[in-house]
Amino acid sequence: MFRFLVRRILGAVITLFIISAITFMLFYAVPRDPARMACGKLCTPETLQLIRHNMGIDEALPVQYWHWITGIFLGREYPGFGHCNAPCLGYSFVNREPVLSTIADRFPTTVSLALGSAVVFLIFGIGTGMLAAVKQGKALDKIASSASLVASSMQIYFVGPLALYFLVYQFHILDQPSYNSFLGDPLSWANGLLVPWLVLALIWTANYTRMTRSQLVETLTEDYVRTARAKGMSRRNVFFRFAWRGAMAPIVTIFGIDLGTLLGGAMITEYTFSLQGIGLLSVKSVQTNDLPMLLGIMVITSSFVVIANIIVDAVYGLIDPRIRLA
Amino acid sequence: MSFSRRNFLIATGVAAAAGSVLTACSSGDSSGGSSGGKQEAAKAQTTTVKIGTAEDSKGPAPEVSGAKKGGKVYLLNDDDFSHLDPQRVYYAWNSLAVIVINRALTGYKIADDGSQTLVGDLATDTGTMKDGGKTWSFTLKDGVKWEDGSDVTVDDVRHGFERAFASYITEGAMYVQSWLTGSTDYRKSYSGPYSGKHLKSITTSGKTITFHLSEARPDFNYVVAMQTYAPTPVKHDTKQNYDKKPFSNGPYKVKSHDTDKSMVLVRNEHWDASTDPIRNAYPDEFDFSFGIEQLTAIDRLLADSGNDQYAVSWRTIPQERVQKAQTDAKDRIFQGLSSGVSLYWINTTRITDKDVREAIIKAWPTAAIRQLQGGSVRGDYATGVMSPLVAGYKSQDVWGKLKNPAGDPAAAKKILEKAGKTGAKVVYAYQQDPTQAKIKVVVENALKAAGFDVVSKGIDSTTWYDQTGKIANPYDIYWGGWSSDWPTGYSVFQPLFDSKAIADGGSNYSHLKDPAVDAAIKAATAETDNDKANAMWAALDKQVTETGAFIPDVYMRRLYLHGSKLGNVKMDPNFDGCMLYKLYVKA
Repeated sequence: MFRFLVRRILGAVITLFIISAITFMLFYAVPRDPARMACGKLCTPETLQLIRHNMGIDEALPVQYWHWITGIFLGREYPGFGHCNAPCLGYSFVNREPVLSTIADRFPTTVSLALGSAVVFLIFGIGTGMLAAVKQGKALDKIASSASLVASSMQIYFVGPLALYFLVYQFHILDQPSYNSFLGDPLSWANGLLVPWLVLALIWTANYTRMTRSQLVETLTEDYVRTARAKGMSRRNVFFRFAWRGAMAPIVTIFGIDLGTLLGGAMITEYTFSLQGIGLLSVKSVQTNDLPMLLGIMVITSSFVVIANIIVDAVYGLIDPRIRLA
Repeated sequence: MSFSRRNFLIATGVAAAAGSVLTACSSGDSSGGSSGGKQEAAKAQTTTVKIGTAEDSKGPAPEVSGAKKGGKVYLLNDDDFSHLDPQRVYYAWNSLAVIVINRALTGYKIADDGSQTLVGDLATDTGTMKDGGKTWSFTLKDGVKWEDGSDVTVDDVRHGFERAFASYITEGAMYVQSWLTGSTDYRKSYSGPYSGKHLKSITTSGKTITFHLSEARPDFNYVVAMQTYAPTPVKHDTKQNYDKKPFSNGPYKVKSHDTDKSMVLVRNEHWDASTDPIRNAYPDEFDFSFGIEQLTAIDRLLADSGNDQYAVSWRTIPQERVQKAQTDAKDRIFQGLSSGVSLYWINTTRITDKDVREAIIKAWPTAAIRQLQGGSVRGDYATGVMSPLVAGYKSQDVWGKLKNPAGDPAAAKKILEKAGKTGAKVVYAYQQDPTQAKIKVVVENALKAAGFDVVSKGIDSTTWYDQTGKIANPYDIYWGGWSSDWPTGYSVFQPLFDSKAIADGGSNYSHLKDPAVDAAIKAATAETDNDKANAMWAALDKQVTETGAFIPDVYMRRLYLHGSKLGNVKMDPNFDGCMLYKLYVKA
């Protein structure tokens, strides 16, 4: 296990380094000039050059990348913004705040959105999937399968505004979506996120229902399950001790990737509900050519996906004894 | 008053509203205006900003009928303000907020009917001009204080002008810096006040500050109304950090500012209404929420419940909600003509034949383009580049666009045939978004019908100005927008048509190099008689239109929404948004 973790962490570091290098080159090499946007409509060549210097983009690309990498470990001085303490991912060209502190500021919103909705869609998705598998071919199965098919084909940008219109604006059943600190007021935290959770969960629940059902149906036909039943083990024991564990392995894998993606920012959800998370920050950064912010978000969110994958691989063996970590 | 690149990038083509120039600025006027061939601009009223007297410059501002003090107002905005530091403020949507925090030497007193008077704000009057406009003096009023109770001094005013030269201030206006040093590369002459040196071209004596300019600037008293030239207290200048929390001398001060999330403005108890002829300042507090998307903000205002009854949108009503707003919340719409003008540049470096340019203009499907962008709410058909809000505006119709906004490809074809240019290739650049993609088709059809060989090239909106701002750009026709920085002709014509402004990234987007236009700009700039100068700028509007360097599109309109518990919510004709200092909370 230890060797496995060391090997995966080293691999993750290299992966992140490659991602950062490619992203940096892609973003910074494109024919767009963030200094031009900041220069105003009466821009002079002298002012443009000064802004590039202040932003730290007046040097060759490899030099800029080197400064960015060293800034992570040693901090960095920006002529136009001041000192950026290590670990420094740069200064935003738009709000002139350190990238890392902005991402850290937005992270609780995204975590709250991701974890809250994950709890809802895991409970309902896996639960409904299990029921549908147990009642395979019966009315409950057909209803669950049909409903999940409809729900999984829906999109946030369709369901979100509908939910807002009916639940918030028209009938005032739920509060206007907002983020409040969990530590400050847990009740208003939950109240503010209830609509996004429900909408996000509606779509993801459907996916997990379908996935759980198909995995369980397949596992229930496996030889070892039939053998266990033949040996006299109760239906409940067979379901939970053998079939369920066997079916969960691929679901956990998918969940790891999904959670990593959600933590990287549910862009459309955050945009629809005006939640100031990583997703909305990404959209704004694209719109405003905020290259340092985009690079920072890319690196941080990639880290989540990589870390989630390592955790999933580690947990894999615990769920399914047939899989051994090497 | 600037047309923000950022606004353009985020929401090019946002819809605005119809109505007449002056009366439509008030809340409740939601006349839709006609569409098609009728021309609203023909009915538009010109607004000559009157230059006020010392008496006009005395406070307090005239009371708003029925208004009362108190209450909290909520502002729904998608983005935080890019700058609060006065020297870094340039764009209108920043100025709208900062104007209640910072007072400048002069400002615009806006009457209930929308008419404007230039008055002394910090200064006792609109200044004294000498040497044909090369020397200007302003004397500060008594009783104007900073938020800590200390006096606003001439040293603070001078410090504001001087710190605009600092290397970290690259975003504000640059006019005065150039005139004070005689060079556009002004930092070579002076690097800012932090080395302990003052500008020799600014002198102070008692409560009077005098500016010695390198060229005659008869409209200098308009220029110093810009937020860029508001004072910054010498003792409280925190340099780069000043942008997050400026020191107030206006009716409100920053209580808290959580970047990109919220900002709260509360009363500055040291502001004396009797010194301020412009601001009423009725509410006790303004709560700004950032990150509220444009559509979400309007949906909340349409629902009009809870605190949203006391809220105002900072952005215009998006096209898809205009009809609903006009039906369901007619009495809560406020709107007006914006200072922005939309047009299409013709690259005169590439299309050198004036007949070809004329054929393009004649064929141009202005009516169809406007229809695709919301119809009459998008704006009134433009006939030139000078907004009806700029002093001296005179209606003209060089290209017959009022009679036939749909375009006349047949007439264009004849012009092209006569010039022997049938089949001439034109490259039309457009930004890649769904609306512009539709406009591209309409443009292609019109130009093809006129006999042009049209090639359309899409450009990513985030690189629009990078691509079209190059002298050697490979495009013949491309969209542009402009608004004046103050309501006289100089900041329209000098940046856009002076041949000195042709440069990579420069503001002369058509690359027009016309000695007659250069001479006319120079003459109008030097004219010290305001009425004569205004007439000269109006004549220039016709002159530059006749060069065929651009295709007039629309004088843009803006349409906003507010909650039902707010009164006297009006649009600022200079900054194209809500006047915070005029509105009040109803009982």
